[in-house]
Amino acid sequence: MTPPRVRMSGIVRRFGAVKALDGAALTLEAGEIHGVLGENGAGKTTLLNILAGLLSQDSGTLEIDGGEVVLSNPRDAWRRGIGMVHQHFKLVGALTVLENLSLGLRVEGGGFGLPYARVRRRVADLEDRTGLHVPLDRAVSDLSVGERQRVEILKALLRDPRVLVLDEPTAVLTPGEVASLFDLLRTLAADGTAVALVAHKLDEVLAVAHRVTVLRDGRTVFGGTVGEVEPEQLVRAMVGESPTRTEPGVRGRVQGEVVAALRKVGLQHGPGWRLSEISMEVERGRIVGIAGVEGNGQRELALLLAGRAKPDQGEAVVPARTGFIPQDRTHEGLIADFDLVENMGLAFHSGRGLMPWSSIRVRAEELRRDYAVRAPTVRTRAGALSGGNQQRLVVGRELAVARDLLVAENPTRGLDIAATRFVRDRLVDLVAAGRGVEPPGVVLISGDLDELLEVADRILVMVRGRLIPVPDHARTRDGIGALMLAGGS
Amino acid sequence: MSEGLVPQRVRGPLFVAGGAVLATVLVAGLALLLGGFDPGQAAAAMVRGTVGSPSALLSVTLVRAVPLILSGLAVAIAFRAGVWNIGAEGQLYAGAMAGVWVGLSAGGLPALLALPAALIASCVAGAVWALIPALMRTRLGVGEVITTILMNFVAIHLASYLVRGPLQESRGVFPQTDAIAEAARLGVLVPGTRLHWGFALAVLVALGASLFLSRTRAGFRLRAVGASPSAAQVAGGIDARRVWTGAFLSSGAVAGLAGGVEVAGVTYALYEGLSPGWGYTAIAVALLAGLSPLAVLVTGALFGALEGGASAMQREAGVPSAWVSFVQALVILSVLALDRLRRTGTTLALGRSGGDVAEASAEDDGSGGEIGERSGGA
Repeated sequence: MTPPRVRMSGIVRRFGAVKALDGAALTLEAGEIHGVLGENGAGKTTLLNILAGLLSQDSGTLEIDGGEVVLSNPRDAWRRGIGMVHQHFKLVGALTVLENLSLGLRVEGGGFGLPYARVRRRVADLEDRTGLHVPLDRAVSDLSVGERQRVEILKALLRDPRVLVLDEPTAVLTPGEVASLFDLLRTLAADGTAVALVAHKLDEVLAVAHRVTVLRDGRTVFGGTVGEVEPEQLVRAMVGESPTRTEPGVRGRVQGEVVAALRKVGLQHGPGWRLSEISMEVERGRIVGIAGVEGNGQRELALLLAGRAKPDQGEAVVPARTGFIPQDRTHEGLIADFDLVENMGLAFHSGRGLMPWSSIRVRAEELRRDYAVRAPTVRTRAGALSGGNQQRLVVGRELAVARDLLVAENPTRGLDIAATRFVRDRLVDLVAAGRGVEPPGVVLISGDLDELLEVADRILVMVRGRLIPVPDHARTRDGIGALMLAGGS
Repeated sequence: MSEGLVPQRVRGPLFVAGGAVLATVLVAGLALLLGGFDPGQAAAAMVRGTVGSPSALLSVTLVRAVPLILSGLAVAIAFRAGVWNIGAEGQLYAGAMAGVWVGLSAGGLPALLALPAALIASCVAGAVWALIPALMRTRLGVGEVITTILMNFVAIHLASYLVRGPLQESRGVFPQTDAIAEAARLGVLVPGTRLHWGFALAVLVALGASLFLSRTRAGFRLRAVGASPSAAQVAGGIDARRVWTGAFLSSGAVAGLAGGVEVAGVTYALYEGLSPGWGYTAIAVALLAGLSPLAVLVTGALFGALEGGASAMQREAGVPSAWVSFVQALVILSVLALDRLRRTGTTLALGRSGGDVAEASAEDDGSGGEIGERSGGA
């Protein structure tokens, strides 16, 4: 029997006092697509980074084709045929795709140039074989996220990997892009490549993977063949308990006064318009969902509604007591070097005089308790928290200040099942009547149609800077998807 | 690198400061040895000349420390906001010029009026000197490192012009001004020494800056913008340009005060080379203090001792006083290196822990760019 392509066993890795991995194991066979599942902070990325030579383990063994190896840097891993596509792209925006692909490759027979001609040839070959198309002569900064990811994958494929590791490749892709990515992975696996795939969405992994490994708290807690395991089994393995579900389509909330209104709003962007002729209203007790392919003006709409930007045209009436959950929580939602209390302070600093630190501290303690933020104390740096816990912190803070309006931009992106459930439930709770206070209105901008269909009272689609209401009969995945692409024209 | 310079949450500053002092002592001692001097003898001279006697401590070390503490505070305030003000030297000169000008024309006024007028004029002049780079950064996006340095040259040469032209002493012999009015001078704090009330003022400013940063809403906004302009603006709804402008102006005012206090407390006149580069040494003072205003009191005194002790060392051990500049440079280099080490240590650990978070903060580290590359108005 041939040994597996990769066998990792008993892997332990500490970061200071934190054990990120505590006896993790993973086996990858040639020709299989292997799903690696786990909640945020379960250790998936750490384990794969060890496989890619970016990190070394404190103990445990790594075998490739049956022989134990020590990878001290990514170059070692490359040499052994292990390629990785990272969650955060590592491309030079100002360079063209061709230049990016050529970086780090050697010119045959030495020399100082980059092997452009060879890369062109190889890319054409790969394109024939896999159907993966990239515009070689465009600057990376002009590409969409999906295109950039294809560049990253090509970069890995150019080195003929025998093992391809993808860390959460689907988080940034549209449904169509996900489908073509999976087709590509199947082609690669059929050619004998071992593919390891990290993803949050269970149904995606089950759709493409042959086998799955589940990590929890740094340990491998489950392994099995797709088709033989029940999804509920996997969820239980990931979260340790079965998650509670709220019934979809919560309706019958009280509709209140209009708290925010945009009237024929336009926002300029260079010579053109980023937003044009936007009119919408948000009422108390209502969740208004905004769908759309990323980059069609949702970002600007969010900033306008949250009072972070002023329109160039038209009228924007927005309340002062607004909570804003920005999409990029690590850069825009919180300050990594500030502790929980100070990050709470980001919502309570306006005006003059002294910071009300004692009351902010109390709020931070409450938030840590009520939102189950896993931090030793409220004096813990936000940067030391896992992604899900950071999002709990941001959500909790913004919900606390959203007395009139909450603007949430992809609030569950990148979160695991339990955290996603938690955030959606909080949004629904927020607009529910009967808490003794008037509920705020909510604008939920989301790339996840299922999320919008579940919680939004009405949905608008954003296409090229314009808003199109979704009629009731089109309130389905397909109906909204068609509007997103067609622009309703 | 900018992140490396700004320990927003001052963690492990003692590691950096202690390590930097240790490294500096070792390298500087080795340099003395290689230069054929006796490090022991030099150190003994240094200690005697700075803390060896009450008069050495009060009349030499602490007097030298006053302008270093004030300009160090100026730098710390700016750096905490992510404003790379390298122009404390020029702002100090601007303050000295304004202070002397008021001091010269305040002959008839009572001290209760003349002294505050002179010091306030110094602050205003320093702030005005910082306003130009502030506007260039926030309105035009021009990096302040270059503009503040250039403004230093303008101030230094303007001072030279003044003491040779309009403000030259009445005899017209030396390139310096007449002595300022008695009423515009700072009194002696400890009788029998040269320590003047400017020292108390510096301590007060340090306490004030510390309370401002930790307790006030405006101070919080300043720290937030310095720690993460994007989060401060998006999550905090803070107008970063306003904060940057405010930090520039306060920093310039405190640096201007350093010049005004030196004139009112020590020299009583303006002359060329009034400052031996305090505005630059201030950067070392602030960095060694981890940008903490209270720690600036300590590091300012340390550098004051270094400058004060230089003459004693030259006298007793024959060590050229230029050696002090060498030591100052060593301190800056080792602070930067150690701070980087401390931060990359933590960043690496987090950056690979599997959380999306820390990956992003590692990127954050890279994207800040070198000092001053962050342009305003983003």
